[in-house]
Amino acid sequence: MSISALNFATPIRRRIEVAPRDFARRDHAISLFDAGQFVDSVTATLGYLLPTTSVPDLNNDALCLAQGSAHIHIEIQGEELLVRAPLVTLKPEAQVVAAMRFFLTRLSATGQLFQPRLREQTVALEFRERLALLHPLKLLEVMQRLPMEADNHDDWLVQQFGVAMAERQSVTGLTDAEFDAAWQLWSAHWSAVEELMTESRRRRQISLLDSLGSFTVNNLVYSLPLFGPVRTRINECADEFTSRDETATKRDNELAKCVKEMRQVTPEALRACLGHSTYAINPQHEGTPSLLTSILGGGSRMQKTGEHRAAGRGLEATLELVADYLYLLAHHSWPNEIDAALRAGLASASDKPWREAADLLWNHANATAKTFGSHGDQDKDDPADADELQNNFDAHPHHEH
Amino acid sequence: MQAPHPIDDIEKFGIYQVYTGLGTGSGFLIDAKHLLTNCHVTAPYRDVAVELRDRSRISGRVRRLHPYRDLAIVELERAVEGEVLVLSENAQLRPKQPVHILGFPVGLPLSLTEGVISHPRQLLDEQYFLQTDAAINPGNSGGPMLDDAREVIAVTTCKLTQADAVGFGIPVADVRLFIEEFRAQTHEFGVQCPACSDLIVTATRYCPSCGTDLESRHDFDEYFTAPETDPLVNFVESALKAAEINPILARHGSHNWSFHSGAPLVKVWCCCSEHLNFSSPLAQTPTRSLEGLFRYLLSAEHAPFAFDLNGSTVRMNHVVHISDIFAAGDDAELSARVRHFVEKAAVTDQLLIQTYACLPGPESLPAI
Repeated sequence: MSISALNFATPIRRRIEVAPRDFARRDHAISLFDAGQFVDSVTATLGYLLPTTSVPDLNNDALCLAQGSAHIHIEIQGEELLVRAPLVTLKPEAQVVAAMRFFLTRLSATGQLFQPRLREQTVALEFRERLALLHPLKLLEVMQRLPMEADNHDDWLVQQFGVAMAERQSVTGLTDAEFDAAWQLWSAHWSAVEELMTESRRRRQISLLDSLGSFTVNNLVYSLPLFGPVRTRINECADEFTSRDETATKRDNELAKCVKEMRQVTPEALRACLGHSTYAINPQHEGTPSLLTSILGGGSRMQKTGEHRAAGRGLEATLELVADYLYLLAHHSWPNEIDAALRAGLASASDKPWREAADLLWNHANATAKTFGSHGDQDKDDPADADELQNNFDAHPHHEH
Repeated sequence: MQAPHPIDDIEKFGIYQVYTGLGTGSGFLIDAKHLLTNCHVTAPYRDVAVELRDRSRISGRVRRLHPYRDLAIVELERAVEGEVLVLSENAQLRPKQPVHILGFPVGLPLSLTEGVISHPRQLLDEQYFLQTDAAINPGNSGGPMLDDAREVIAVTTCKLTQADAVGFGIPVADVRLFIEEFRAQTHEFGVQCPACSDLIVTATRYCPSCGTDLESRHDFDEYFTAPETDPLVNFVESALKAAEINPILARHGSHNWSFHSGAPLVKVWCCCSEHLNFSSPLAQTPTRSLEGLFRYLLSAEHAPFAFDLNGSTVRMNHVVHISDIFAAGDDAELSARVRHFVEKAAVTDQLLIQTYACLPGPESLPAI
């Protein structure tokens, strides 16, 4: 076996600081709506969603937010609220038909409150509704999805279709030192994936392929602030190599193709797709004690990992645990204490041989779940606006919540 | 050349799909204006929709129910063409005899499955059934089981889900008795007592004939009272009525409706706990000169409706958030949007064909 450990360097991606939500503000917004105070209800809803942002009088001023590379405009026009995120401008020399087909097939959809709209030459994601029909839950759904969708379609559109970006938020590039570290991390990551693929092919276990697929995606999400064509391309590949509807052979082939493609990304191309973004709305799910318990605290998942450990399958056990930790960190925001604990757990396994890493992570997972997980109490996860976010980078086949 | 098998031309049979607000099933003609099906297919509704071969629908009114034997007779709003099936007089059914089951499994168009009689008189839950190994699926209920002479030997009713190829039909003798008693019926509607089979014509706790406590049959009440509907169903059906669409004919299962607005089909359904969706698959895109079409489809002028492409089919879509229906909001506005959507689907379909050289969609009704 050529690979004997995994390395977890300090992530370049900055932790997203999140202010805690005050659910009472949301309930107050609903009360205002029920009482017919529609403008106040909108203001209160936005105040709940954006606790650190000052919401202006939307009758007179638009609220403009930055969500990654997207600009989101919110304003009241007469008796309607308009939420709008410009995407692209269609240039005569661009592949206009292909771009519009993309919008009609991938951005426009049934069951979606906002849609891509063309005004003159600019395509934007738009939601417009009468204030009297703008229940806070409806507005929250729009505000938690439209900005993410806008952020997910950025420079990649320019590269694919030759369109021009329309009013995008600039992303802060990496410093030279950050980029050097990022490039090392990137190279080491794909080397590790390649070697783990060899092990996966040797052992011929679907569960190993599952963990590997998850690791491949989530290690990057956790470590690097990727955006643009590289991120989009990895998402596309991940849809295939993590899909449980596909055969193992197909998934393996797709992963191999992805590795080969990413190995060919030049430092310049990678640097153009790395940058620190700001987010008005938390793009991650909010981590909960019950989630910790379900992932780290026992049940069939940990039982399977325990079986790997007991049978001396250190690589399998480690990769499953690593995949779980990365999933929790890459896609969820946690209180400081829990975030620090999860990062410390991951770091403790860095460069450790498989069996030792598996033991360390196993013990750490159990302790973390015991300390921070739920213990039989009902978690008051809010079903209306929590965990509704869809992140295209979330390609963790183990966790279909 | 082989002589045609009597079961070959299944499209000519008077077998139709029955729709309610809970699901769909099958039924077959016992005469030009009456359809036989299962009680569980129609209950708890008195009014059902029956879809004909040309995909048009007519209404049906339940006239008689036998909950214990699971039979129902529906009177159609008008006589229909379609072969009335003959009930078999053969009292000597035997294992291994061929069985042909016709119906609308899982909502597919009329289709046939075949097997044999596993047992002509199997005792199950204190009743006798014809048992067969022919494939039975949800949607087959109420349809006929035929022999090689294309005569009805049973009515499909259920199957064992924990076993393979164990399906059941109500024997034709019971079906014949049920029909004969219906022929003598003078009341508009009646339900047969589960104990003595006497016809009960008004809501009552105890059977007037045998005194059975009908409340102990927990669902007996529902046959005489209009089914409870929830605000979502009320909203949709009121909005459809305002759009001059018969909501009963549009029912396509639980929280599910479909109907034609002019040529194109319109579907209404709940995709999740938050959204009520309206979607109409319209025309199909041509292969050239698409820029003008795509600009039209993406144009902001269509809000609150939107278009997307599903393969080469243009779909027109609208979403109603569930909070709109349950909040004390502007129902009139929401209802008006539904009406506008229904109208616009028909108009837009025509426009796409005439202005943008689109082709008629596969789910649209053919032009007259």
